[in-house]
Amino acid sequence: MSAHALFIEPFETLAFMRTALVACLALALANGAVGTLLILRRASLDGDVLGHAVTPGAAIGFLYAGPSPVWLSLGGIAGGFGVAALAGLIGKKQAERDLGLVAFYLIALSLGVLLIAWRGSNIDVMRVLFGTVLSIDYRALLQVAVVSSVIVLVIAALYRPLAVGSFDPTFLRVASGRAPYGAVFSVLVVLALVASFQAFGTLLALGPLLLPAAAARCWRLGVAGSMTLATGFGAAASLAGLLLSYHGNLPSGPAIVLSAGLLFGVSFIAAGLLRRLAPLMG
Amino acid sequence: MVLLRRIEGADGRIDLRDVTVRYGRRLALEAVSGEFVSGSMTAVVGANGAGKSTLLAAIAGEVPLAGGVVNCAARKRLAYLPQHAAIDRDYPISVSELIALGGWPEFGAFRSPSAALWARVAAAAETVGLAKRLTRSVDELSVGELQRALFARLIVQNAAVILLDEPFAAVDAQALSVLLDQVMQWHEKERTIIAVLHDLDLVRSHFPSTLVLAQRCLAWGKTAVALPALAA
Repeated sequence: MSAHALFIEPFETLAFMRTALVACLALALANGAVGTLLILRRASLDGDVLGHAVTPGAAIGFLYAGPSPVWLSLGGIAGGFGVAALAGLIGKKQAERDLGLVAFYLIALSLGVLLIAWRGSNIDVMRVLFGTVLSIDYRALLQVAVVSSVIVLVIAALYRPLAVGSFDPTFLRVASGRAPYGAVFSVLVVLALVASFQAFGTLLALGPLLLPAAAARCWRLGVAGSMTLATGFGAAASLAGLLLSYHGNLPSGPAIVLSAGLLFGVSFIAAGLLRRLAPLMG
Repeated sequence: MVLLRRIEGADGRIDLRDVTVRYGRRLALEAVSGEFVSGSMTAVVGANGAGKSTLLAAIAGEVPLAGGVVNCAARKRLAYLPQHAAIDRDYPISVSELIALGGWPEFGAFRSPSAALWARVAAAAETVGLAKRLTRSVDELSVGELQRALFARLIVQNAAVILLDEPFAAVDAQALSVLLDQVMQWHEKERTIIAVLHDLDLVRSHFPSTLVLAQRCLAWGKTAVALPALAA
């Protein structure tokens, strides 16, 4: 098989592959920045919870309007914000908080699945949980692109307080007179998850958000460097995953997340080895 | 200039009236009242769980008050150094960037730090003995070096009120002397300093005033007079 048939042909012949690729690249742009900040804040569990919190909201959107991307997203945003606000109410103690968040996400997930199964079919359930990256239409693509652009612009504007807030939140609060940067960031996470959610579903949306960022973090670059590398990893995983799903006739969303996971594994081992070897090489 | 300094100094007063803090049902601070005079240097001592850290956090506005008032005119010029558990040491930030954060009031969220600020960062690093480590990443620093870097950030911050929570815990003797020197310099410049400390010999030898806490205020005044209340 020639390189052309391997890499170019799938996108040349099939419009939905092209749309899926562009959507994934747009998502990678937003996810690289948001995911890196999420990991630096050690808030991956919070991301997890928000990811699943989107489910019941999306389910209500589905009950109201059927599988329309706009209503699913609006419902998802409402659900995400609702749970983000509720999560702010639970205790400050780490153990208590973690337990509370896990309870939240299990409840949100099962409630969402129940709601969809009540009126819809098993296929609808699968669609909400795992997404349908190959059925993204032009309107949904536009929506993904707009949300991703907004996220990237907001992070560019608020880069310093967001970065400092994940390093030394107390300092930022005292120095900046308690500007609500934490809340802004929660909004960005919800937006990123909702943007990802048509492509990857509520269960997998966290994959493209966290895995490329986690892979980039292994290489111990600065904050901006990590974001850039995470975006690159996200784009590479999207391309690899789509090709894998095309040639192997596999579901695309999981293939992309799996590719990102592979990148994380390779980065983790390679960066670890490099750090150990570096002193030996002098 | 002299007048300006006096006005600046007058800003550093902190007035506590019946300051009460609760964590859930537990009372952490109960009706603490009194005044940190501008330019004073006070050690806060007491047993574990006496509310020492809580008092500092309350002054910094980091914990909500269940009752009472903290009056601090210099709230905008207040520096607060919590115990280092609060800082993520694994974070990809260089020592110079960490120190430069002290200039936050000057550059804020959007402007870029000026050349003058970077010069002050270098000078502050020199003062605490970290001049050679400016380009290093924070995760390469030892506990003592990190504390030195945080002190350098305080130097750059140039605050009127400086709150230090166990600033000398887990630092070696050499770092201790450098950091203590710096505290004494701030004192000479009439900054208001409040430090939570465990080492009572250090309190006796260097801190003019002492506040003894056990949820309530047991004693507050000249160290020689107040400190015996701790044993009683």
